[in-house]
Amino acid sequence: MSELLRIQHLSKNFGRKPVLKDFDLTVESGRVYGLLGRNGEGKTTLARILMGVIPADGGEVSYKGRRISFGDSAYKREFGYVPEDPFFYEGMTVRVLLDFNARFYPRWDRKRAASDLERFALDPKSRVRTLSRGMKLKLGLAVALAAAPEFLILDDPTSGLDVPTRQDFLRDIIRELAASGTTVLFATHMVHELERIVERLLVLHGGRLIVDEDFEAVKARYQASLEDIFVSLVADKA
Amino acid sequence: MFRALYFKEWKEKALLFFFEMGILVLLILAQFVFREKKDIQEWLIYAVLMLFFPFAALILGAAGFEAEYRQGAWAYLFSRPVGRGTIWLAKFAALLSMLTALWLVFAALWAAAPGIREIRAWPMLGKAGLTLESVIPWWSILLSVFLLTVAFSLSLLHERQFNILFVSIGAGLFLPAAVWAVMNSRAGGFMAWLSPERALPTFLVCLVLVALAFAAASILALAKSDFSQPRNLTFGFVRWFVPFLVLALAGTAAWALLTPVPGGRYLYHFAFSQGDAYYVTHRGVFKYSAAADRVQWLAKGKSFGFGWAMDSSGGKIAYTAYDIKSKKDIEEVLWVVNADGSGRKKILGRGVRENEWPQDVSIMNLLMSPDGAKVAILSSSYRNKPKARRSPPLWLAYADGTRLESLPDDPALFGDARAYCWVRLVAWVQAGTSVLLEKRTSPSPSSFSLWLYDLGGRTARMLLDNAVTASWLSPISPDGELLAVKYQKGLKGPWQLAVLDFRTMATTDITGSAAEPQGQVSSQISWEPKGTRIAYVSRRKQAEGPDVYFLVVYSLTAQKSLAERRMTKTEGAAQLYAPSWTGDGARIVVLDREANGLRIFGPDLNETERIAFPPRMGPPYGLTIVGNHALVQDNVTDSLWRCDLVKKTWKRLY
Repeated sequence: MSELLRIQHLSKNFGRKPVLKDFDLTVESGRVYGLLGRNGEGKTTLARILMGVIPADGGEVSYKGRRISFGDSAYKREFGYVPEDPFFYEGMTVRVLLDFNARFYPRWDRKRAASDLERFALDPKSRVRTLSRGMKLKLGLAVALAAAPEFLILDDPTSGLDVPTRQDFLRDIIRELAASGTTVLFATHMVHELERIVERLLVLHGGRLIVDEDFEAVKARYQASLEDIFVSLVADKA
Repeated sequence: MFRALYFKEWKEKALLFFFEMGILVLLILAQFVFREKKDIQEWLIYAVLMLFFPFAALILGAAGFEAEYRQGAWAYLFSRPVGRGTIWLAKFAALLSMLTALWLVFAALWAAAPGIREIRAWPMLGKAGLTLESVIPWWSILLSVFLLTVAFSLSLLHERQFNILFVSIGAGLFLPAAVWAVMNSRAGGFMAWLSPERALPTFLVCLVLVALAFAAASILALAKSDFSQPRNLTFGFVRWFVPFLVLALAGTAAWALLTPVPGGRYLYHFAFSQGDAYYVTHRGVFKYSAAADRVQWLAKGKSFGFGWAMDSSGGKIAYTAYDIKSKKDIEEVLWVVNADGSGRKKILGRGVRENEWPQDVSIMNLLMSPDGAKVAILSSSYRNKPKARRSPPLWLAYADGTRLESLPDDPALFGDARAYCWVRLVAWVQAGTSVLLEKRTSPSPSSFSLWLYDLGGRTARMLLDNAVTASWLSPISPDGELLAVKYQKGLKGPWQLAVLDFRTMATTDITGSAAEPQGQVSSQISWEPKGTRIAYVSRRKQAEGPDVYFLVVYSLTAQKSLAERRMTKTEGAAQLYAPSWTGDGARIVVLDREANGLRIFGPDLNETERIAFPPRMGPPYGLTIVGNHALVQDNVTDSLWRCDLVKKTWKRLY
């Protein structure tokens, strides 16, 4: 597997509060990464920095060997992003939102978009403002998947999903993506969901990764559930 | 991507746009309802220009990033593969096109209703220079685009649209108002040379540059700052805006100082002596040395007056300027400076002979004595005061600043206070013992008389009635003894050219004489450097058809014309020919607009060559020969061009 993304010495403060400190990570293509961390540890911040939504205070990010800086946009054509809070333009209909996004992504898959709308029971004529939070999350997923990304960042998207959809999402969609070679970074604090899909475990604590290891190896070492492993790791460092 | 964002903005702001369009349509309909009441129409038009468009622009601009804030969609938008510069531009382009659409609807009304176009004068606006012209009101368009830019630039800093609106009104109206105040206040005394026609363009340039400062700071803040931290974003904006604002204000000042405004009169005075040309602009007194092809800045200044003189030997220059302390405290100052720029001395003005020089008059014009020791001054006193209460009109100031003396008034010369009647000092003659004056005696048809004021005897006498100097700049022969005059035989007779000899006071006709039987002079005359020949353009009647024009070289010693050449052009062109002798007396240069160049003739008037005007030069006028160089002014910008008659190259000096 080749190196897809490299993050070196990344740092970010909000005011005087450091969120990421000297953060390093290497992402290999075609794998599913699970990023665990308590609330406020910087999972969303990391996702936003990678998506160019907010700037980092320091450090370097390289994608496919090329350094990317705040303000670059071309690399994002190969990135998918489902944020924790799926805010879209409320006045648009589902179809208009999809058409609007289609202009940005050269590999936009209209068939995939249509089938996902059906799969998630989304009415193309519905206005975004009429959708529930769960439905908006589904719409966010549909948008991200239709862009046929090489690297998909999921920022805790399952917390607002109903159980069948969450299971569908975890069981089918993530596996499907992994099988197609898409690299997934799944950030969450809902540990038990990650256990079923994660290949490599990342634990963020105190602004740094305290674990960056294959999940099977971690599991073998600790002989416990992921939830117990996470709690003991975070407690040890606290 | 740009298109997608552009149309997204249009869809998002459609409701707001149509709301504004609705108000505009109502205002337009009201124009037709009140078509019989011009005063109401006028108020409505100004309501549209001064209130509707600025506020429509402010409201549109303030809504720029409203959707991103209100719906929390900024993180979503910025995570799309599109540059932030593109986002900014697409949003701005959409808003600008909405404003343009509103303007187009108004322009259609403008075109459709001629009565509205004719509305011009609202007194308050007229005073401020903001009159509604018969053409499109650019000031209102620029103001609305400016306010749109300000409001849109600020809209990314705050989520509350109303707050943005109020801050934009403050920043958008306060900044221009402050600039306008500085330009017109005491603090702006340094810019007091701004003429009214220059003030409004300067103000509009300021608006454009400040709008660019807002836009640049906004783009950079959006591109570089963290949108999730409002303080960080605001600080980023301010950090970029301050230097850009300083640059914008510096750019405005530079524009105002360095750029001549078309149609403005900024090359105030012009003279030449001993191979050098001297001219005054709003920046100072300059000398152009033909031999070195170099411009020298003799005296820097900010606000020059209308007085200017140079002695005949080219040693000293006298000029007037304004000493401005405040809008109400402006004093005229007379300076004398050596022709090399050294020894500048204040002769009259604040702190110098204030008790002797009358406070209620201005300097009409000046003459420097041939030796450069004295300056004859004609004041405005005779024009606006009855004789019993007025100060003497003629004065003598010593160039070393030691003395100022008034000369006795002469009722025959200065007694007519009617507005059309004016007097001008022409030349210092008779070896510096007298000054020649020209007086306008009736308005239509204009008539003039020439007077001599004896400085020793302190009396004036009329030399010629119904006569005017034949050249504005150089009617006196190089030796100072002869005066070229044009006079009229009878009130409706043709203008004849003659020469007056100051030694004998005898007048010799040139045109109308046996040697040069026909015609009247249609151009400025030019003295050959030795003073034995003159060149001019003569207009002659034909038995049939229009009058024809001849370029003539006339010998004063032989008392006959030596050569004539028919110039085929019209009267308007003939008045601009301005024939001028070269310094060696071997050639005559003529400015020919219709031939689009300078035409060069030998003394026999055979054309030897032509030099085309440079493409960038506007309609030329005012030809002067200095050494091997010809100086020509641009009638549109008043810039001064130099033509090297040997190398046939042009260069803009000013």
